[in-house]
Amino acid sequence: MEENQKKELLELFADKLTRAARLYLDNCTRCGVCIEACHVYQSMPETRYTAVSRAQNIRRLYEKYFKLSGKIAPWWNEAVELDDAWMDRVWETAYTCTGCRRCMTFCPFGIDTGLIQSIAKLLLIGSDREPKVLTMLADVSISKGRNIEATKKSFAQAVRNLEAEVIEKWRSEGGEEAVPLDVQGADVLYVALAGKHSIVPAAAIMNAAGEKWSLSYFEAVNFGAFVGNPKKTKEIAQRIIDEAERLKVKEVAICECGTAYRVMKHMTGKHSFNVITFVELIARYLREGRIKLDKSKIDARITYHDPCQIARQGGIYEEPRYILKHLTDDFVDLQSNRRASYCCGGGGGLVIMGDKEFRMKSAKVKVDEVKATGATILATACENCHSQLSDLMEYYGLETKVQFVSGLVADALVQETASRKVPAATSEEPQLQLTAKAG
Amino acid sequence: MIDRLYYFIMVPMVYLAVAWCLIGIAAKIVRLLKAPQHPTTLQIFPETKTPLLAALVDTFTLPTVREHRPLLWFFLMTFHVAFVLLIVAHLDLIPQLSIVSGASHHMIGHGAVGVALTVSVLYLLFRRFRAPVRELSVPSDYILLLLLFCLFLTGDVISWANSWGQNGFVLSKQDFGAYLNGLVKFTFQDPSEVLSGGHYTVIAVHVLLANLFLMILPFSKIMHSFFALPLNALRRA
Ligand code: HEM
Ligand code: SF4
Ligand code: SF4
Repeated sequence: MEENQKKELLELFADKLTRAARLYLDNCTRCGVCIEACHVYQSMPETRYTAVSRAQNIRRLYEKYFKLSGKIAPWWNEAVELDDAWMDRVWETAYTCTGCRRCMTFCPFGIDTGLIQSIAKLLLIGSDREPKVLTMLADVSISKGRNIEATKKSFAQAVRNLEAEVIEKWRSEGGEEAVPLDVQGADVLYVALAGKHSIVPAAAIMNAAGEKWSLSYFEAVNFGAFVGNPKKTKEIAQRIIDEAERLKVKEVAICECGTAYRVMKHMTGKHSFNVITFVELIARYLREGRIKLDKSKIDARITYHDPCQIARQGGIYEEPRYILKHLTDDFVDLQSNRRASYCCGGGGGLVIMGDKEFRMKSAKVKVDEVKATGATILATACENCHSQLSDLMEYYGLETKVQFVSGLVADALVQETASRKVPAATSEEPQLQLTAKAG
Repeated sequence: MIDRLYYFIMVPMVYLAVAWCLIGIAAKIVRLLKAPQHPTTLQIFPETKTPLLAALVDTFTLPTVREHRPLLWFFLMTFHVAFVLLIVAHLDLIPQLSIVSGASHHMIGHGAVGVALTVSVLYLLFRRFRAPVRELSVPSDYILLLLLFCLFLTGDVISWANSWGQNGFVLSKQDFGAYLNGLVKFTFQDPSEVLSGGHYTVIAVHVLLANLFLMILPFSKIMHSFFALPLNALRRA
């Protein structure tokens, strides 16, 4: 590695040394409590896939370049030189970490290995080693945002073509657009993904609830966050923030995409609007009696996978379960659920990166848990998890069908209900537990 | 020659080690405070209404270790509680502080604190020699534990040797009090005058190891003793 590049990389590293990062790098006792936390290690028990080993690859560089002990006695904490061979090793442990932060719930100090791996990812970007497909997608996304005026018309036309499908699920009232765009002062700006599965059911549900909503011109997904590039992450998110501010909406509801939600909710500062997940919105409609669901539509056992980015990272645990219990009397949780849920194995951009073999092997632990429930529907609320889980079911030959919560809800909407005139939830209904459980 | 070495260890080096340790800890804390705050939350959900209280419980009862490694939890709790008692017991030797009654010839715990520490540190050391913890460990992990083991063992010997004399005590709590009194008052008196008896060598080794421990502390992972709470607070809110 050339001296110049080394210097640049160390500057990148130094930039990431926030108080939290230093605390995480300085204080690991290498007690090994986090060993079993990682789904990758659980599925492929190799030491390099433990959270602590992944972190050590960065910690040992930190020791060398940012600590006195590493300068005086490099052997003390096994400080290492930043070179090409070491960066290859960093690659293996960074882009196999999905950033699910399950390990953080094991560590007695709460060390965030996901954050340490974000430093690793930045170093890999800096040395031009990051997965190019992710960067490419981030760039496409940014340039699309810049040329929005040019693509607005064709987007609107594409949306019009979807309206018949929306009306099939829920007839709109006279004069209303089934998929409204550019609604000034809307209560909800719904940010979808490119794909009708992300627009049609959501539109039907919001129309059924009589919501004053508007569809965003932008895609929710944030490839900048997948690749671990903070600048691109911000730039991609900013387009949606600008749109929401221009329309003066009260809330931005993010479709079933975990990363988009986390970025918007927790990584882009304070906003003039509230950020919620679409499942929260559905739960609210049910609670307020604005939509009704027909339980007889689904005759199957349902289980639920907690997407890391909205669950551990966002606190959305009970809403999806509340919704699913309106769809079936046969709901069972996975053995490791809520805060303890294993990552699906597709987070952090792994689904897009293409090493399917690794992705399948590293998430075997999830498949085993799904199998144990005997459920025939595996519901989830994240695009990324949905793709990964579908691949897993196919790879391991399970009959279980992976479905979005919104899709299940849209198919079970009770059409007779006059949307806006329904009384509030009756007391027999399972009440949503939003109060946090410590632990 | 050996007398001068003992004197250096027992008096000037103690001052140097304590000063070095305090300056090192202060420098670490200042460096951390100077680092910019992390721009995003690092919280793990669900939330609690009392995050600080929850962080305190996490810090002092190690619930995640109890859940995932009950045996390690037992020894870690034994180790840490005993360590705190050990610090108290050493402060108690200083006549000016005298935390519990000054009348007893024994240190707090009558030697049990030291045994608890020795046993638990041995457990921590042995588990490091077994996979997979072995593969995660670096030299400093072993050296620190070995240093602590020797430190505790010499402490145990001093405590045990107190029962060797005819009247039961070779050196009593009051004798150590006299030594520490000299240190606190900067008299620079030769400690061998107040700590008579055959195992002065063991005491000198004990103090030497303690000095080394204090000097290493600010540059080691044992700084977690200061940072465990802020770390846990990050996870809670
Ligand atoms: C009085 C303050 C403390 C002191 C002096 C102290 C000292 C030590 C020492 C000397 C070790 C052994 C290091 C080793 O294993 O190599 C240790 C280990 C450990 N301490 Fe502390 N500690 C303190 C407070 C805490 C607190 C508040 C926590 C709470 C999270 C904590 C958690 C741990 C853990 C998890 C280990 C595991 C080490 C291992 O497995 O090797 N300590 N501590
Ligand atoms: S549990 Fe925490 S302190 Fe222990 S090895 Fe893992 S990251 Fe380090
Ligand atoms: S963040 Fe998730 S994938 Fe990464 S090391 Fe921790 S448990 Fe494993």
